[in-house]
Amino acid sequence: MNFVTHTQLREWLGGLMAERSVIAPQRLQPDLVVYRAVDSTDEIAFDFGRAALSPKEFFLPATEAILTIERVRQLIAGDDGEAQPDWQIRLTDHELTRDQVLFAIRPCDAHALTALDALLLKEPVDAYYARRRQRTSLIGLACAQMGPTCFCTSLGFTPDDRQGMDVMLYTVEGGYALEVLTEKGQAVTAGLQSTPYSERLPEREWPPAQISVPPRSVWLNAFNDPYWGELADRCLSCKICAYVCPTCRCFDVRDYTVAQAPGYQKIERLRCWDACMADGYRRIAGGHNPRPEKAQRLRNRFYCKFEYYPADFGPLACVGCGRCIDNCPVNVDITEVLDAVRARS
Amino acid sequence: MIEQLRVKAREILENKTVDLVIGYEMGTRGAVRPAFIRSPADVDRLVWNEGCTHNLVTYLRTKRVPAKRGAPPLRIGVVLKACDARALNILLHENQLPRTELYLMGVVCQGMQEPTRPQANSTSGLSLSGRMQLRCQACSDRVPVVYDVLFGDSSQQPTQAVTGQRQSELEMELQRLESMSTAERYAFWEAEFERCLRCYACRQACPACYCAECTAEQLDPEWVGIGITTPEKRFFHIMRAFHLAGRCVGCDECARVCPVGVRLDLLNAWMRREVQRTFGYQAGLDATAPAPLTTFRPDENLKL
Repeated sequence: MNFVTHTQLREWLGGLMAERSVIAPQRLQPDLVVYRAVDSTDEIAFDFGRAALSPKEFFLPATEAILTIERVRQLIAGDDGEAQPDWQIRLTDHELTRDQVLFAIRPCDAHALTALDALLLKEPVDAYYARRRQRTSLIGLACAQMGPTCFCTSLGFTPDDRQGMDVMLYTVEGGYALEVLTEKGQAVTAGLQSTPYSERLPEREWPPAQISVPPRSVWLNAFNDPYWGELADRCLSCKICAYVCPTCRCFDVRDYTVAQAPGYQKIERLRCWDACMADGYRRIAGGHNPRPEKAQRLRNRFYCKFEYYPADFGPLACVGCGRCIDNCPVNVDITEVLDAVRARS
Repeated sequence: MIEQLRVKAREILENKTVDLVIGYEMGTRGAVRPAFIRSPADVDRLVWNEGCTHNLVTYLRTKRVPAKRGAPPLRIGVVLKACDARALNILLHENQLPRTELYLMGVVCQGMQEPTRPQANSTSGLSLSGRMQLRCQACSDRVPVVYDVLFGDSSQQPTQAVTGQRQSELEMELQRLESMSTAERYAFWEAEFERCLRCYACRQACPACYCAECTAEQLDPEWVGIGITTPEKRFFHIMRAFHLAGRCVGCDECARVCPVGVRLDLLNAWMRREVQRTFGYQAGLDATAPAPLTTFRPDENLKL
């Protein structure tokens, strides 16, 4: 383990910006920290709890052009030697132009990426996610404490967990203790000035689990419980919970004509966030909607996280970050829901 | 006061005046949340305090729909603050709700506080920020404009609300916007819209946003693409502001629910002021007065 001062850390991050895009927490408002691509270390919020939004958008952008189709009219030589117009079709795949460094990702958000990998890196691999994942180094920053709505310890994680990180930072007296965990981590820290850190990191006693996830049998029995209707009474059917969630990953895809000029046509295929809370999410051709009721959609949120996703892909689709609790305008509290479902057994 | 409200709620549920009472209850982590009471035995869940900020009128249209197809619509008792009552008048005016099927439990409002961040799970009791909401600072209405029964002492003075002596913070913010150059103001709004997640919480929380199909999500024709980038978000917010002009009552639920703090309260306050200046009209005061933007008067000369 090595020791870096705050100044060394900043110099290193500043140096990385020349070749990579550096994504770091930025304070937009006194109470609002989000991850953004930064051009200078002055823009980085080093002192923050947990960002309001997860950094998932750098792996699954809210809007991503995944394919461009261009139709260009060119003049080519015909059989008789005369120039003739011809239409050429060009397909362009969108690649990242630079490697990404995600600075100060919290352990819960790294767990969320591990959970997403179970689905998106499994055959058939989601190529767009995979290449962003592959070209991004994760510089973890251990949490100093759990926030009021955090419940990662209830799901078997800890706020200083290094799992999934390439480099891990722990805040210590006078700077950071730094651990390089992968080859990618080694490559990205090549220019970092540091000194050996000989002390042991203090053992932390994290708060014990506050809740437990009900076992599968309970979920299976609770599906038709009137509880879901009661819970959905106050739900507004907005998409806040899904959009702030680090593991919600659903999207919509549509093709758009983006420019029309004589002799030139361009179509872009956009992939954009969508969420199962919204009325239109499951609507299919012909207008049928298999989940027309708000209660069905809200129930799906919790079954997806704690029953379908683990059954199909392994990990839970919840990491205990508590963002949905922070942001729900009508106090739909995921920990209360878990308690209520368990009480139904 | 809350005891009287609970007694009345129990009474109207027991004598079947209503099928459902919508009010407020304590949630988790010190939060207040909307409560849906169907049984007289549950009325003790109802609370009234300075965290009861939600505009419950939002729920009325959908909650009237009976669970069983063909059954009569539900009759609903609802707790109303002054701002909520103005929102109700908008829906009554637009023939979205039958007045006779509603039982309106008006409450004298002393202003609502800014919500706090949710507290730790162990928290019991109410958690309030201690700061009066901007909209409440600018509001001097204590008593709802429409109600069937009123709870609270209407002679009570507002706790913090501005009573005309000094300018409210909201007005000062509007003036700050007005004093900007067009380019500065454009930059301000671009930064606001850029943050937006297009989660539609503002629209979902808004009592006046009730279209069966929102223009922002219509597929045929598709006015706005599915992209979550500034042009789509700008279009959505400006369109919504125009659809609310002359209808927005300033409950500011849109701004409260926004996870990234987009200043929709300012956008709508700006439009409200334009409507006030142009037509001398304030939305929601009267369910029968003609609405300025849906009324054509041949003799009208706005001197715009």
